[in-house]
Amino acid sequence: MSRSNKKWFSLNLSRKQNDDSGTCGCGKTSGGCGSHSNDAEMSEEEFYHAAVNASIGDEREKDGFDQVFDVKMDRRTAFRKLAASLLIGAGAVNTSCSMLSSDESKEKAQIDWEEQFKGNYKLMTDDEKKNTVDRLVRSYQLRTGKTISMSSKNAEEDVLFGYAFNISKCQGYMDCVSACVKENNQDRNSQMQYIRIHEMKDGEGLKFDEADDNYYHEVPAEGHFYLGTQCFHCDNPPCVEVCPVQATWREDDGLVVVDYDWCVGCRYCMAACPYDGRRFNWSKPEVPEEEVNHNQHYLGNRMRKKGVMEKCTFCVQRSREGKNPACVEACPTGARIFGNLLDPNSTIRWVLENKKVFRLKEDLGTEPKFWYFMD
Amino acid sequence: MKQLKVFRSLVKDSFDVVTHGTVKYHIWMGFLTFMMLVGMYCYSIQLNEGLSVTGMTDRVSWGLYISNFTFLVGVAAAAVMLVMPTYVLHDVDFKQAVLIGEGLAVAALIMCLAFVIADMGGPSVLWHMIPGLGVFNFPNSMLTWDVIVLNGYLFLNITIPFYILFRHYQGKEAKSKVYVPGAILSVFWAVGIHLVTAFLYQGLQARPFWNNALLGPRFLASAFAAGPALIILVLAIIRNFTAFKIEDKTLKKIAMVVTVAAQINLIMLISELFKEFYAPTHHSESAYYLFFGLHGKDALLPWIWTAIPLNVLATVLLTFHKLRNNPKILYFSCFILFVAIWIEKGFGLIVPGFIPGPYGKIAEYTPTGVEIGVTLGIWALGAFVFTVLAKTAIGIELGELRFKNNKN
Amino acid sequence: MMSSSLFVNRSLCLIVFCMVFFSCKHEDKYHGVMEKIEAEGEHYQGVSLSSENYLEGVDTILISEGGHTFLIPERKNQIKLYACTECHSKPLAEMQEGDIKKAHWDIKIVHANEKAMNCVTCHNPSNMDELRSVTGMSIDFDNSYNLCSQCHSKQFEDWKGGAHGKRIGGWAPPRASMTCVNCHNPHQPHFESRWPARFNTQKVKERE
Ligand code: SF4
Ligand code: SF4
Repeated sequence: MSRSNKKWFSLNLSRKQNDDSGTCGCGKTSGGCGSHSNDAEMSEEEFYHAAVNASIGDEREKDGFDQVFDVKMDRRTAFRKLAASLLIGAGAVNTSCSMLSSDESKEKAQIDWEEQFKGNYKLMTDDEKKNTVDRLVRSYQLRTGKTISMSSKNAEEDVLFGYAFNISKCQGYMDCVSACVKENNQDRNSQMQYIRIHEMKDGEGLKFDEADDNYYHEVPAEGHFYLGTQCFHCDNPPCVEVCPVQATWREDDGLVVVDYDWCVGCRYCMAACPYDGRRFNWSKPEVPEEEVNHNQHYLGNRMRKKGVMEKCTFCVQRSREGKNPACVEACPTGARIFGNLLDPNSTIRWVLENKKVFRLKEDLGTEPKFWYFMD
Repeated sequence: MKQLKVFRSLVKDSFDVVTHGTVKYHIWMGFLTFMMLVGMYCYSIQLNEGLSVTGMTDRVSWGLYISNFTFLVGVAAAAVMLVMPTYVLHDVDFKQAVLIGEGLAVAALIMCLAFVIADMGGPSVLWHMIPGLGVFNFPNSMLTWDVIVLNGYLFLNITIPFYILFRHYQGKEAKSKVYVPGAILSVFWAVGIHLVTAFLYQGLQARPFWNNALLGPRFLASAFAAGPALIILVLAIIRNFTAFKIEDKTLKKIAMVVTVAAQINLIMLISELFKEFYAPTHHSESAYYLFFGLHGKDALLPWIWTAIPLNVLATVLLTFHKLRNNPKILYFSCFILFVAIWIEKGFGLIVPGFIPGPYGKIAEYTPTGVEIGVTLGIWALGAFVFTVLAKTAIGIELGELRFKNNKN
Repeated sequence: MMSSSLFVNRSLCLIVFCMVFFSCKHEDKYHGVMEKIEAEGEHYQGVSLSSENYLEGVDTILISEGGHTFLIPERKNQIKLYACTECHSKPLAEMQEGDIKKAHWDIKIVHANEKAMNCVTCHNPSNMDELRSVTGMSIDFDNSYNLCSQCHSKQFEDWKGGAHGKRIGGWAPPRASMTCVNCHNPHQPHFESRWPARFNTQKVKERE
């Protein structure tokens, strides 16, 4: 593939010497390929490098590590070498070392390499966020030949997301569960589901232990009501506190998100969540290619790998665009209400102020931003 | 430069020592190597397939690995119960025992770290946890505290005995000014690793079974019973198979420590049981599940009802001087106490914390073959490390291993 | 011995100090999320996001009820054969007699009971293009919620505020909500019972 129409940035680990020794892309050292015939003009390749330099500058020297503890380059390179020798990023290292591989697989290896050693998304600058998103898009394209769109949109000013659930409206159809699975590219093998709908008996209060959260009969069942749970995006989330590497955090708009590439998979957050809000990828998540939702966000429904934590993000890829989460949109009864808590005119605010709302396990001090109410 | 030369010779000598031995010794080491290979094979399966090859699920998200980790932290901390009297109070009795104890601590800590790594979903990005390279969520996350204290403790427990052995190797006395501050620090540190590990669980408001003020102290008590109990067994074995002299007095003193700790542990167990069952609340369900089963689910019953009688029996046997002074009974009660606490602090603590789940749902946990394989492999690794350390240390202490200045 | 105990003391002090220092990490200004919402919402400036794009293709009308102003879908252009008078050119009685093709034969009224309601409780037999209230005032098909609210006043309150009735478009302003008849068939307003969209076999296995 021609480099001049590359849409992403590469660090050029192995190709750098080419430029230094004055060769061209075709690999000949003499001026046989045409790009050396006219010294006055910039070759396509030189132009490419100049352009990259101008637009990205020292970006190539800076990423996650530097923002974190201002680690100098040499230490980092030293670490890379160490890591390489330990074969930690086995696949990445393997392929990037082989000089015989094709351009495409080199590019793939390059991306893998940079992805393996990138920093924590939470601490990235906007440019760095964009770069990693571009890399991921490109990597997906190289692997599957399909183009996805991935956003790295940050939290909007003056927004704090909140959710209300009407337990007298919910009929237990589980349309939300279905929509959520599709929207968020959840693993089909393990049938991962962020949302649980608990079928409870009328007149017995909230007895979760006696409720059935995996019913399969015609609904609504006589004498029962339905209550949905998912991650409540606590305002004081215990799951965030405990993460040893800050792979999960609370965004400014109140969403509690996970950086799937930074998570080490210790599952401490899962133990700390009082609401069963988290799901772990015990094996490699699989979604049939034709079912993959191509409209993605880095913090949201992009493809996960095995051994990382994930959870409901209030469909960050949708909510940050002003849309409702997939569950809200799918619910045929309007039992689910979503909106901006800071907007005094929002419907969610009206519900909080005018209905008798409650939350689950309020005594734990987690301050969930997910309220229940009745008609 | 000279130090380096001595060190090189020490490494060479100890290599010689550990590669030579009786047939029994070679069988033992061969067996451990085989187990480690089995463990590695199982781990490679786990790496390939993901943690789905273990019995863990979203419901019970920590299992055998973390159980063993928790227990071994206790074993590691116990070594220090012997450090204090030896180094600080100049109680000579413990002197031989303490090197063994610290070797045990090193082995236990290595096993701890191995268990934590085995439990990780993404071992390839473990560097995210290294302070300076990744992001270290200190002091918010108790896990980061644990990383610090465990590694610090490992460092202390390697350097102190190493210093002493290194001096002895050269035929010199170890300077107490150098190692005593370290020894004292390690005493506090041992309590620290315990409490921090307990806090790891204790600090989770989501899990009422753990969120209980007695967890930390009970950890300490049970550790100071299980750790020295293991040391007694190991010393007994060493006494049998090597020329290393360990006096009965030493064993008796350690047995005393075990006894007191086991008694305190039992009292705390009773206090806990009283709280859970006298006025049971919603939060007692985990305890109900553990001891009696809940809604017909009772996978942990055989475990805990093995552990409790063993624990009580061992404590009773140890309490009577006559029985305790009989080595056979002592070894037997130490062994059952060790097993009892392994169950209690491992399976009996970690698994029921997750059952029932946040919404009262019960999904039981049974470890799979792969998981057990990895676990056995890691235990074999620990035993291997300990054997190597102990053999070298004993060699030096017996004077068989000495730096020969004129030799080459 | 002296120096070592001093060292111990110092390190102990340091540890205690660190613990106290770090445990006081209450940066939170607010006592709860409600307090925070009120305080931070006070200076609400509006958001740059808008739902307008997501409302494209839906004809909406702006209504203002009880201090709430929002969009609802237009109704009349959704009715297949509006205006009704194109067929209903004669009084009902005459149309029922004749030998013309039957219409609306499939409509069953399962709404309240026969004593309380029949067709003309809502439809105006003298002007089929409009609905009428119990007191005989005319109500436009687009504003049919005014008809429902006569009895369902509680639901009406909730609907105006936003607790009842599904939103269309996104959460971002402008607000657009479904109106009663978008979800409830006025002739049979209850929701049908049906099977859930999914069943999780894995969960069953997990719990045996
Ligand atoms: S519900 Fe659980 S996962 Fe979600 S924010 Fe709260 S503690 Fe974290
Ligand atoms: S599983 Fe991932 S997100 Fe959760 S605590 Fe561990 S590293 Fe953090």
